[in-house]
Amino acid sequence: MTDSRLGRWGRAELRSPRPLLVILIVVLVGIFASLKPMFLNGPFSISPLITTISIFTVVGLSQMMVLSVGHMNLAVGQLAGISALVMGACFQNLGMPLLLGLAVGLVVGTALGALAGWIIAQTGVNSFIVTLAMNFTLLGLIPTLYSSWSTGQAFTVQPPGFTTLGTGTFADFCLGDTCGSNAVPLLVIPALVCMGLVGYFYSSTRVGRETLMTGSNIQAAELSGVPTRRRLILVHAVSGLLAAVAGFMLAASTGSFTPAIGSEFMLPSFLGPILGGTLLAGGVVSVIGTFLGITLTSVIRNGLLLFQVGIEALNVLLGVILLAALATDRLRLLLAKRRPPKAEESAATLAAELEDAEGNR
Amino acid sequence: MTVALQVKNLRKTFPGVVALADANITVEAGSIHALMGENGAGKSTLIKVVTGVQPADSGVMLLHGAPVTFSNPLESMDAGIGVVHQERNVVRDFTVGENIALSSMPRRAGRIDWPAVWREATRCLEMLDLDLDPRTPMRDLSAAQTQLVEIARGLYRRATVLLLDEPTASLSNDEADRLYKVVHQLAEQGTAIVLVSHKLDEVFAHCDAITVLRDGGTAMESRPIAETSRDEVVSTMVGRALGTMEVEARIVDRSGTPALELRDVSTSAGHRAISLSVHRGEIVGMYGLVGAGRTELARSILGLERVTAGETLVDGTPARIRSVRDALQRFRMGYVTENRKEEGVFLLQSITRNVAVTVWSELSRFLGRVPYRAERETVGEFVDALQIKISSQDQLAGQLSGGNQQKVSLAKWLAAKTKILIIDEPTVGIDVKTKRAFYELIWKLADEGLAILLISSDLAEMVTLADRIVVMDRFIVRGEVDNTHDYDTMSTAVIHHIHGSEAAA
Amino acid sequence: MKRLISANNLLLLGVVVVGAALLGSATGGTFFGPVSMTAFFTYLSVPILIGLAQMITLCVGQLNLAVGAIGGVAACAAGVMITSWGVPPWVGGLSTVLIGAFLGLANGLIVVGTRINGFIVTLAMTQILIGVQYGLVGTRTYGSSAWSAVTSFGDAKILGIPNVFVLTLLVAGVVALYFAQSVSGRRLLASGGNAHAAELAGISIDRTLIVAHTLSGLLCGVAAFVTLAILPGVNSSIGGDWLMPSFAAPIIGGVGLAGGTVAVLGTVLAATVVRLVDAASAIFKFDTSAVNFVVGAVVLGTVALGRLREVQAARRASALRSKRAEAALAEVSR
Repeated sequence: MTDSRLGRWGRAELRSPRPLLVILIVVLVGIFASLKPMFLNGPFSISPLITTISIFTVVGLSQMMVLSVGHMNLAVGQLAGISALVMGACFQNLGMPLLLGLAVGLVVGTALGALAGWIIAQTGVNSFIVTLAMNFTLLGLIPTLYSSWSTGQAFTVQPPGFTTLGTGTFADFCLGDTCGSNAVPLLVIPALVCMGLVGYFYSSTRVGRETLMTGSNIQAAELSGVPTRRRLILVHAVSGLLAAVAGFMLAASTGSFTPAIGSEFMLPSFLGPILGGTLLAGGVVSVIGTFLGITLTSVIRNGLLLFQVGIEALNVLLGVILLAALATDRLRLLLAKRRPPKAEESAATLAAELEDAEGNR
Repeated sequence: MTVALQVKNLRKTFPGVVALADANITVEAGSIHALMGENGAGKSTLIKVVTGVQPADSGVMLLHGAPVTFSNPLESMDAGIGVVHQERNVVRDFTVGENIALSSMPRRAGRIDWPAVWREATRCLEMLDLDLDPRTPMRDLSAAQTQLVEIARGLYRRATVLLLDEPTASLSNDEADRLYKVVHQLAEQGTAIVLVSHKLDEVFAHCDAITVLRDGGTAMESRPIAETSRDEVVSTMVGRALGTMEVEARIVDRSGTPALELRDVSTSAGHRAISLSVHRGEIVGMYGLVGAGRTELARSILGLERVTAGETLVDGTPARIRSVRDALQRFRMGYVTENRKEEGVFLLQSITRNVAVTVWSELSRFLGRVPYRAERETVGEFVDALQIKISSQDQLAGQLSGGNQQKVSLAKWLAAKTKILIIDEPTVGIDVKTKRAFYELIWKLADEGLAILLISSDLAEMVTLADRIVVMDRFIVRGEVDNTHDYDTMSTAVIHHIHGSEAAA
Repeated sequence: MKRLISANNLLLLGVVVVGAALLGSATGGTFFGPVSMTAFFTYLSVPILIGLAQMITLCVGQLNLAVGAIGGVAACAAGVMITSWGVPPWVGGLSTVLIGAFLGLANGLIVVGTRINGFIVTLAMTQILIGVQYGLVGTRTYGSSAWSAVTSFGDAKILGIPNVFVLTLLVAGVVALYFAQSVSGRRLLASGGNAHAAELAGISIDRTLIVAHTLSGLLCGVAAFVTLAILPGVNSSIGGDWLMPSFAAPIIGGVGLAGGTVAVLGTVLAATVVRLVDAASAIFKFDTSAVNFVVGAVVLGTVALGRLREVQAARRASALRSKRAEAALAEVSR
């Protein structure tokens, strides 16, 4: 029990699906780059790739927040959409500066998320139904508001700083003679900030730990003095906040606020965290894993686009990957059954074992 | 009389626990055979083996003279063994008749032959002298009626042996009488009935023979009821299970204000006029059968159920406790739960998190950050103090043995420096050696000044540990006795409190 | 019969009657005119069918997110087969049912085989099938003139009622009979109602899950057939908006989320109510947002009410215990 924290962390990471993700990413990048050197082009290929990864990592983190308590948020896309709508209206109709409009939009996302969380905690209704209903109500609301508040179904006014943030790269920032790379977009910054804050929340704070315990076993948590209701509302609120951030980032990268923002968020929001080792049942999350999961799927997507493979093949592939990722845990259990139980094993493997034991009772 | 069911030298072990060690029972057709024993004596394991839920490690089971082994419950049912469990097990959205006939619905031309269903169901219900329309929706029935329907279900499958597990646990006196009328009728018709019960009066009133299990073995084997007495049965049940554990009465200072006191408390869970008090350094035991309302009372004290009348006082001052968090942070109260796997321990979380969950509020400082080193050191302190066997604090709680998991469940309250501790069924499913260690631990905690309210259905455990025993039944307090730590007198006194006989301690 | 006249069904029927009357008077009677009525019932068919499809998965405690995707793939596959491969229109049209059943079966097998949460399985399948759908038809719309035999069925009426609606009612009737009269149907209900009791009665939970998913897919296939019959063509957008309506109908119709119950009449009535709200929004030029908001709110309200009933039942159990305790107390004090 005297080995280092780093050593322990390292071993835990090795037991997770994350090393496999890293290997796959490296291998795929290698394959794509050798077949199409264009893939490694800084400003035209890598930069958009990193932009996509940045945006969808935040989307994945949004879902990961509610997954941590074993819930799901089917309204991630629409929360991003409505927040983006409000931001756009603030910039165009009210002439607000960048940070103010952003703040207003974030408040909207957070408030709606908190509302969903409150309904779930208060009534005990399944998070699936509550967020599905919210998704549905916003689905109709967003285009209608765009019609009444904007001209031509979009907000195109760009406050100062907007374009720089959305499409600028580190090449725009120079220290003396050395300038940053033009392959790294400025949008990594919000993504990194979100990753850092969410990671810190779950790894180092009391509230984050209590949230994970709530996800692991809500009765035991309540009986251990954790204010579970408050934690549930909090994660839903932050989920809404992060969805709003993602919506803003997407709008910045494309240059305008449209009703389509958020429409593609649903699947990646689950895919990223699940591939990265976040458990659907709650209690175990991984920020790095979410990032790696999104990176893998983005690399696949961008690589296939380079080969001009259609969107349809991509969709099929992503769906298959999701199933395969979850099925492998089962397979691992099947193979591990013959071996004697290890002292250290991952939560996912233990979860599967316990489930199996229940069934054989 | 022919022998319907016979079990010889049945053995069954689970990791760390011997559940059945040479259990024997011989049940004759047409007889009502009582199966008694304390919690952990092996009754439920025996039932699981006979009903095919678990296979035995060794031993012989004979059904109507022929040896049988069951690999699943279906085989046991097909062979003619019916069982009615303690908890109701029916499809509430269906009718009575459909629940009865569910295992093989009569068909005609591909469709369900509903008239045949009603006919067959009525036939089974009539065998029980039950005047119930099979078309009645299941949800309209009382628990007692539901139970009878489950018996009818066994009859539909032509059960020749019927196992009833604590059948009158949640029945009123009238309903219990009704049930026994049915049981006698079935016995007259030739069914062999095995009745698992804690209730001495009922056993002696209705049963023909009795088998007592203790520590997995048969302490009294298939004795005709006329050849034994209540006292003999009780002492056989309780025995000297823990070897000679001579216990001296502890010296408890009851002069000061009680740490925890309930005055005439009624709750939304159904309690009425509960009064009890626990002083610093005292171990007060709440003894009762399943369904007595003890866990519900613990939950009420912690604010999980509403107190509708009376007062709760902590250190003499009235306390309105709103939640477990409230109980912990304002009154330093803790609760070691009954089901450690479901409520006490976070199976998929590390030991560190399991133990530190109650102290994060205190450890966290700037921005809610929990200092890593302080957390691990605190947890390490209590892991050592309780001698929890782990390879590292990062181990997941689900990988530990039952005894170690229970220690983890307790550790978090010790880490939180609680002053009042409610401990609910601490040694269920734990081996004898670890049980002893737990008893020493609980005494040590009491010696250090903790006020302990102990809930246990294990009478021997209660008599060993408690300074005073409060007897509960059906959500009220039946009586209170000082513990002399003498098994015989205490068990008589306690059991008589529950069954309301005159001979009080 | 008793169950058909449940409080929930009566309420829904009342809403339907009142709603229809309101629309009738607001339009000076044209709402009840032949053109309006034909459109009303024709476009009520798919919502009922997909509501029933979801109901079947709900009754075993599962969720089918792939309702729209299955229907979309089935419809587009048929369209492609008829138009590009020269498959006869009716054969192609009815193949939708088989395709739907096959895809449902795939869902069921994956859920049982991998033990992955049904939500994730159907979520992944939705993505896969959306890709397949796009792969089948691309950006093209396959015009229904290629299967005019089927569309004329879709245009025609029996005794003034659109064929497709009659078909839908027949299917609803068969589904109701299935759950009321067949061993298979009762098994589904048993396993959803109390899986443990069902297992003890010899019912294989795995098998019931597979059957439920297959039947759900089959009904999506029927919905796809109706789509072929009534729409001017099929493209990659078919099924894209089926998800919420497929949940709204059974939930508002009284089907519990935990499983074990079905409500065919309730689902049909609930779908009718939603259709009326749609019709009203077209007549009064409501915002679609208002419609969606109302539907979302009603769904939430229905589920919350269900929870309330559970809480009340628990309270009643406590009250009973209280009474017993009083009685026991009286005994002791004597």
